[in-house]
Amino acid sequence: MANRYFLACLVAVIIAGTVLYIMDQMELNLAKSEILSGYTLLGLIVFLGAFNVRKKLSMLPLLKASTWLVFHVVGGLLCIFLFWVHTASIWPDGNYEIALSIIFYLVFFSGIGGFFIQKSNAIKLTETGIEVIYERIPAELSEIRERSEAIVLECTKTTSSDTVANHYIATLAWYFKRPRFYWPTLLGHGNAKTWLRNNQASVTRYLNEEETGYFNQLIELAELKKLIDEHYTLQDINKKWLLVHLPLSVGLLIISFWHVLLVEVFAI
Amino acid sequence: MVEISVKQNTLTRPQRWDSPFDSDMTKADVKKLLAIEEIAAIKADRFPARISLEGILQNDTRIVAFKKGELVVREGDYGNSAFLILKGSLRIVLSPSLPGAILGRSKEHKRGFFDAVSQLWTSDWLPETRDPDRYGPTKTGAAKNAASTRIILQDIPAILDKHSTATINQGALFGELAALGRIPRTATVLADEDSELLEIRWQGLRELRAYDEGWRRMIDERYRQTALIAHLNEVPEFNHLNDEEIQLVADQCLFETYGSFDWHTSFKKLQNRSEADEPVIARQGDYPDGLLMVRAGFAREAVNHGTGKRTVTYLGAGDNFGMFELHNAWVNTNDSNLALGTTLTAVGYVDVIRVPASLLAEFVFPNIDAPVNMAEQSVGKSQSNDTLMQWAVDERFINGRQTMVMDLNKCVRCDDCVSACAAAHDGNPRFRRHGKTIDHWLVANACMHCADPVCMIGCPTGAIHRSLSGGTVIINDDTCIGCGTCANSCPYQNISLVQISDAKGNGLVDDQTHRPIMKATKCDLCSDQIGGPACVRACAHDALQRVDFKEFTS
Repeated sequence: MANRYFLACLVAVIIAGTVLYIMDQMELNLAKSEILSGYTLLGLIVFLGAFNVRKKLSMLPLLKASTWLVFHVVGGLLCIFLFWVHTASIWPDGNYEIALSIIFYLVFFSGIGGFFIQKSNAIKLTETGIEVIYERIPAELSEIRERSEAIVLECTKTTSSDTVANHYIATLAWYFKRPRFYWPTLLGHGNAKTWLRNNQASVTRYLNEEETGYFNQLIELAELKKLIDEHYTLQDINKKWLLVHLPLSVGLLIISFWHVLLVEVFAI
Repeated sequence: MVEISVKQNTLTRPQRWDSPFDSDMTKADVKKLLAIEEIAAIKADRFPARISLEGILQNDTRIVAFKKGELVVREGDYGNSAFLILKGSLRIVLSPSLPGAILGRSKEHKRGFFDAVSQLWTSDWLPETRDPDRYGPTKTGAAKNAASTRIILQDIPAILDKHSTATINQGALFGELAALGRIPRTATVLADEDSELLEIRWQGLRELRAYDEGWRRMIDERYRQTALIAHLNEVPEFNHLNDEEIQLVADQCLFETYGSFDWHTSFKKLQNRSEADEPVIARQGDYPDGLLMVRAGFAREAVNHGTGKRTVTYLGAGDNFGMFELHNAWVNTNDSNLALGTTLTAVGYVDVIRVPASLLAEFVFPNIDAPVNMAEQSVGKSQSNDTLMQWAVDERFINGRQTMVMDLNKCVRCDDCVSACAAAHDGNPRFRRHGKTIDHWLVANACMHCADPVCMIGCPTGAIHRSLSGGTVIINDDTCIGCGTCANSCPYQNISLVQISDAKGNGLVDDQTHRPIMKATKCDLCSDQIGGPACVRACAHDALQRVDFKEFTS
C-alpha cells in the first residue's frame, strides 16, 4: 500500500509540475492558462468519479479497488491544488463560482473526513471484540430484548419479587428498545458505560442473592447490547458519510460541466 | 365461494443417476463387464437394491478405448475416476515427469472481456434464477467431451529413452489414489498399445469398495503400495535412489493411518477442540525408531508447556517428523538425550510413512545437512507468536488453500466484497462476511478450497469436484441434486443450499412432493471470471486476502 501511495504521489507531482510549467509557457505567450488548469481539473474530477463506476464493474479486471482508492485519495489532494491554481485563490468571486466552490470543498472535506473516519472506525469496531453484520443488528437487538424480558419474567416468577421487573420497566426497557447513545459513542464518550454502571448500582442493594443472579444475566445482555450499539453507530457512520460524499460528487460533476459550457460559450 | 388456484412451477426432483457417467452404456455392455474376472468375483447380492451392482456399472462406469500413445491420465490433474484395464497394456511415466507442453494442458473456460461486461445486463435481477430445461435426465455425458480432449503422444520411443517408465497390464486397477484420496494424479499414464479401459467414477468406486470385501482389499492394498512408491519417488530425501533401492525402502516402510477418514463428522460435534482429543503418533520423550513422513492430512507438532501443550508447527503432505533426533543420534552416538523433543498428533486424518532408522543411516543421512530442531526453535518465540497458528490448527483452518482472511483493523465493513461476489454469481453472494475471529483476523464463511475437501465425500453425483487445473473445488450446478450432503460435510459451514427459481422469480418445486428444488452453492474463486476472485479485487482497503494458512502463519 505504501508503495502505491508513493507511486500515486509521484504521478500527482509530475502532473502538477507539467501543468504549472505549461501554464507558465502559456502565460508568456499571452494565452489563457486557466483553460489548461480547468480542463485538467475537470478530467481529474471525472477520473475520481470513475472510482464509483469501477466498484460496479467488479467482474472486470480493472485493477484492484485498493489501487483505485490510493489514486482516488491522492487525486483528491491534487484536485484541491489544481483548484487553487485554477481560481488563483481559495475562495473565488462570483455567485456561481462561490456555489461551485462550496460544493467542491464539501466533496473534498467529506472525502478526506470519510477516509479517516473509516480507518479509525475499523480499529474501534475490532476493539469491541465482536462482529455483527450491520443489516443483522435489528434482529440481534430484538433477540437480546426477548431474552432479557424472559429473564425478568422468570425472575419475578421464581423469586416472587417485582424489584427487578420494576427496575427493568423504569430503566432497562428503554435501553433495550433500540440502539442508544449514538452521538456519545460517535464522539468517543463513555456515556453508555456510565449509564449502565449507575443503573446497576442503584438497584443491586435491594436484591437478594437469587435476584442478583438474574440481574447479573440482564447486565451481561446489556453489556453485549452496548457492544452491538457501538457497531451500529460506527458502521452506520461508515456507510452514511458516503451518502453525503456521493450525491455531492454527482452535483459537482454536473455543476462543473455547466461551468465549462458557460465558459466555452461566453468566455472564450 | 371463491376458488383460489395456486399455480406452481414444478420440476421432477433430480436423482442420483439422472446424469450417468456415459449415457451410451448399454445393458449388453454391463453384461459383458459382469463376465470379466475382476467383476465376476463381486458378490452382487451384497449391494442394496437402490445401488445395485448393475446400476453402478451402468451409471458410474464407462468403457473407453485408447489408441497407442494416447494419454489416459496426466500427472498433476485432479481426477475423480479410477481405471481397470480390460484389454491391452499401459505405460506409467515415473520420472522425470513429462513437460506440460507434451501433455497438452488445456485452459479452463474463462469469460472473455465482452462476455464479462455483458453480465451487467444479461444477469438476472432476481437471485438464483435458472432455466428449468437444463435439468433432468441428460444425454450429454462426460464421455462425449472426453473424446475431443484426447492427446496422443507422437514420439513414444523418445519418451521411453528419456523417462523411467513401468508397464501395467490387463486386469490392473489404477487411479484409485487420486479418485478416493482427493489428490492430484501422481503420474502420467499412456496407452502402450490399443487398449480398452473401464473408467469408474469415484462414486461407483466408493460403492464397490463399501459393499465388496475383495475390492476393498484390492483397493486398499493398491492404494498403499502405489502411494508409498509414488511418495518415496517425490520426497527429496529419497528421490536420488534407483528403482531397486526405492523398492527396498518401500518394502521396509510401515504405512500408518491415524485419525478418522471421516474426521469432519466428529469435528463438527466437538465444542472444545484441542490437541487432547487428537490421536498421538509420537510422544515427546520417547525414543524415535524411524522417520515419520506425512503423506496426506495434517499433524500437529507440540511441546509440553506448563500443564498443556504448545503448538510449534503443523505438518502437511511432504513434511517429516523426527529427522533432527534421528540425525543427532546418528552423529552423536554417545549423546545421553536422544529422545523426541516434540509430540506429534493427528489433526483429523493423517497418512504417515514410518521409515526405519537403519534405512536413513544407509540412504539419507550421508546426503543431508543437519536438520532443524523444532523444539529448540520454539523456545526463542513468545507464546503470543504461536497464538494464530495454534488457533488455526484447533479450528482446522490449516486445511484451507484459499482461505478468506480479513484484517478487521483494515476492514471498514462496507460489504463491497459481498456485493462484488453477488454481481459475479447470479445476484447472490457465495460467502458470508461472518466467521470465527482471533485478534484482528476474521476467517470468513467462504469455501477454503481445502487440501482435504471432505465436502466431496458422499456427493452422490460427483457434482462437487476439483477443477482439472488448480484444484479449485467447484459445484456443477447441472448435476447437483440439492441433497445437502456436501453442506453437511463441510466442517466450516461454507456451503449453502439455496432455492432456485425460474426467470420470473417463482421458486421451483418438486412436481411430486412440491418441496422446493435446492442447489448447493459456494465460493468458486470466480473460476469463470477473467480477473480472478471478485471479492479480493473489490476490497478498497486490502483487508481481504485469500491465503494458504501455512504461509500465512509462518
